[in-house]
Amino acid sequence: MHAHDTVQNPAPASLPMAGQAIAMPATSSVTLACTGEQYPCRHDESLLHGMLRLGRKGIPAGCTNGGCGVCKVHVTCGQVHRIGVISRAHVSVEEEAAGYTLACRTAPDTDVTLDVVGRVRRNVMRSVVGGGNATTSESAR
Amino acid sequence: MAVMRIGHISVRVMDMEAALKHYTNVLGMRVTHTDADGNQYLKCWDEWDKYSVVLTPSDRAGMNHVAYKVEKDAELDVLKQKIKDYGFAVAELPAGTLPACGRMLQFTLPSGHEMRLFAEKECVGTDVGSIDPDPWPDSIKGAGAHWLDHCLLMCRFDPEKGVNTVVDNTKFLKEVLNFFQTEQVMVGPNGSIQLASFLSLSSKPHDLALVGAPTSGLHHLSFFLDSWHDILKAGDIMAKNRVRIDVAPTRHGLTRGETIYFFDPSGNRNETFAGLGYQAQRDRPVTTWTEENLGRSIFYHTRELTESFINVYT
Ligand code: FES
Ligand SMILES: [Fe+2]
Repeated sequence: MHAHDTVQNPAPASLPMAGQAIAMPATSSVTLACTGEQYPCRHDESLLHGMLRLGRKGIPAGCTNGGCGVCKVHVTCGQVHRIGVISRAHVSVEEEAAGYTLACRTAPDTDVTLDVVGRVRRNVMRSVVGGGNATTSESAR
Repeated sequence: MAVMRIGHISVRVMDMEAALKHYTNVLGMRVTHTDADGNQYLKCWDEWDKYSVVLTPSDRAGMNHVAYKVEKDAELDVLKQKIKDYGFAVAELPAGTLPACGRMLQFTLPSGHEMRLFAEKECVGTDVGSIDPDPWPDSIKGAGAHWLDHCLLMCRFDPEKGVNTVVDNTKFLKEVLNFFQTEQVMVGPNGSIQLASFLSLSSKPHDLALVGAPTSGLHHLSFFLDSWHDILKAGDIMAKNRVRIDVAPTRHGLTRGETIYFFDPSGNRNETFAGLGYQAQRDRPVTTWTEENLGRSIFYHTRELTESFINVYT
């Protein structure tokens, strides 16, 4: 299967009946260090897709296609593999070697722990609008 | 003197094969040229010039430049002088710099975006032709977009530091290129800060949109569809193709347009946009949206901005 299709269109997880031997897709546990959020993620789906599919929160979701950079994470524990192209405007080769990646283009091989790499910045609209100082998480922009 | 419309947009993609599948199968464009560097040139069925989208291979997403078409070649000389007199640097790129395209003026907007003007591009005709045409061709694929309609540029904006390139761009585009304002969003003390500016060259509610942001970038490129029903069908096509949809079918307060926002396979946001909303004219009073109705101006039904609409762009 083409890597791109794997990300966009994973086959539905099968639901085995009691006593039935159905091969379940391999999954690992993903932990977001900042919030303690934990969810299972298949080895053939992106860290972001696994989270979104279960309605979980913590990693900002944008284009889901490796271009916008909002889902940037630092893998601090565990092994992962890339399942698509990532924008070099957001993750340099050096950063990638140091464990930074885009969650929408990376799948787990083992249980992993992630830091969501958003610098906290003032959001233009919210800082001007209403004069508030609401913040929003942002990754390299 | 007339700058007429958006002529083309040049966009970076990270996976050309996936990009071509998207722009042809989902939007329904057709490749009309491929150059030696692997750049791809595409048009919609209802467009007559050879291309409106240029896809360039890159290691990142985003816009290279946006080009607007001028009616007559001689006008480029006048415009070149006007741009210089305004105080901006302007270069002239010879005919053939882009395939099938005449000479281009090249300059940088205050927001940092590269804009070009050209007058000539090979006319290949619409897919229904110009003699006794049918209303649509049998070759339509995917959403069957009619034409590249407009783009929205995110423009560097930090009013506390006195930076508002939405205003700077608007002033230049109105005074030098003869765009006119149709709508705006005004925020801050006494609604004194222009956060968004919608500009037209035609009878459409916008040919270019500008919105303030911490850094400049491309928010979306938008393709025209006829009707609300076409928008719904486009949504079905996106679902069938597992396209990431950012905002499901809804209506904008601004422009009254009917819309879907979605992403190409490199993360560049696209829009399918239907409904000409109203007839834009130079003497039509400018519509102003206030801070209190900012959400409603963008998403008329839910009346709330979404995090991704504000923060996600390339
Ligand atoms: S969501 Fe856009 S790069 Fe991951
Ligand atoms: Fe738009």
